[in-house]
Amino acid sequence: MQARCKLYTFVCIITCIFLVLGLLNYAGANDFEQLRKDSANIKTIQAHFVQKKSMKILSRPLISEGRFYYAAPDSLRWEYFKPIRSIVIAYKNNTKRYITSGGKMVEDKTGGAQAMKIVLNEVAGWMSGKYDQNPSFAATINEEANTRITLTPTEKSMTGMIEKIEILLSKKSATVKSVKIIESANNFTQINFDNVEINKAINPSIFQDAQ
Amino acid sequence: MKGLPLLILTIFLFSCQTLPLINAPVSPAEEKALTCPSPFLKEKYRLVHAIETRVAGKTQSTIIGVTLADPYTRFISCAIMTAEGMVMFEADSDHGAIKVNRALPPLDSADFAKNMIEDIKLIFFAPGGKIQKKGILSDGATACRYHEENGDWIDVITNKLEGTTIKRYSSFGTLKRQIKFNKTSGNIYQSIELQANETFNYSLLMTLIEAQPVESESLQKE
Repeated sequence: MQARCKLYTFVCIITCIFLVLGLLNYAGANDFEQLRKDSANIKTIQAHFVQKKSMKILSRPLISEGRFYYAAPDSLRWEYFKPIRSIVIAYKNNTKRYITSGGKMVEDKTGGAQAMKIVLNEVAGWMSGKYDQNPSFAATINEEANTRITLTPTEKSMTGMIEKIEILLSKKSATVKSVKIIESANNFTQINFDNVEINKAINPSIFQDAQ
Repeated sequence: MKGLPLLILTIFLFSCQTLPLINAPVSPAEEKALTCPSPFLKEKYRLVHAIETRVAGKTQSTIIGVTLADPYTRFISCAIMTAEGMVMFEADSDHGAIKVNRALPPLDSADFAKNMIEDIKLIFFAPGGKIQKKGILSDGATACRYHEENGDWIDVITNKLEGTTIKRYSSFGTLKRQIKFNKTSGNIYQSIELQANETFNYSLLMTLIEAQPVESESLQKE
């Protein structure tokens, strides 16, 4: 379970990196090549996010909030503030997950770090702008009123876990309208970003200290 | 060889534990005044908990649990998801029949679904069995004992200082589950601790994220 959890965490991160990168110059891009060029200038990204989890059993979405940090080439921090605090930190080829216990952050002991490393390698590929070259996902772009990017898992390990990921970009404002991680027809997660800051200095302790 | 039956008998006797003694009220008036604790749902509810899993006292992981429960029909719908929002397990229980809608390894065993539904029933529903005894434990706590159809015993105990506890024993008297409601005032489901005595003992600390009553009609639709 934990390996899959971590994989899912990083699918979220990959998606978010993808969408934040899309904020830059995507309005003018008509294929993945433009995104590849844009991503070369990214040194850091940080943003606040709101996650809405919808499923049949819930009458209204379960809202989570957090913050996301990235520093090239491979440092990540994906942190939830509520409803429960948890942090995934990837730094210098070392990936850990922390959860809150008795008011303190403690390392998640259930393992899965190996899976996280594997996925982190995939993240590195995405950060290089190789969105359509990741064998784990088939990526398509549909130019409609908005631009829709659809990522479909190609590997059997994702079967029954994630159906697809949809990223909707506004052509007019060059901003991301929505990201949906769809697990099944009645079960999906939507993540919205705000206060996105590109290439603003991030204190290195963000990627080392879970507190 | 002659000692073998004696040895087996000794092992058997040691493996059986006795249920805590419940002293009957001394007078009919006391008996009449004694009310069985009932920390159970009184209406249909949807509850979302953060669930901290612990093994040997150390926190292992934290997940989110969603429970939709109707104490009248004893219908249960439940889900487990990660903090990141990934649903690992989803199942319904209606009239004793469990339907698993989604289960990712290692939560995909039949035993897991059955045990989880049983734990939810133990926490939120009044015991289905008949009451066998009510009275006072040696520490002064009020206790009511129920005998379930499968032979298990359920004690529902309340103590003014320590709050309410539910204990489930096997038919042999072995403690299998202990549910402790940590809040003595306000929403009793705010903080719940479940101690499971299995091959590998574990505990769950459940902290309420949100709770809301569910309209009868909407539950049917759901």
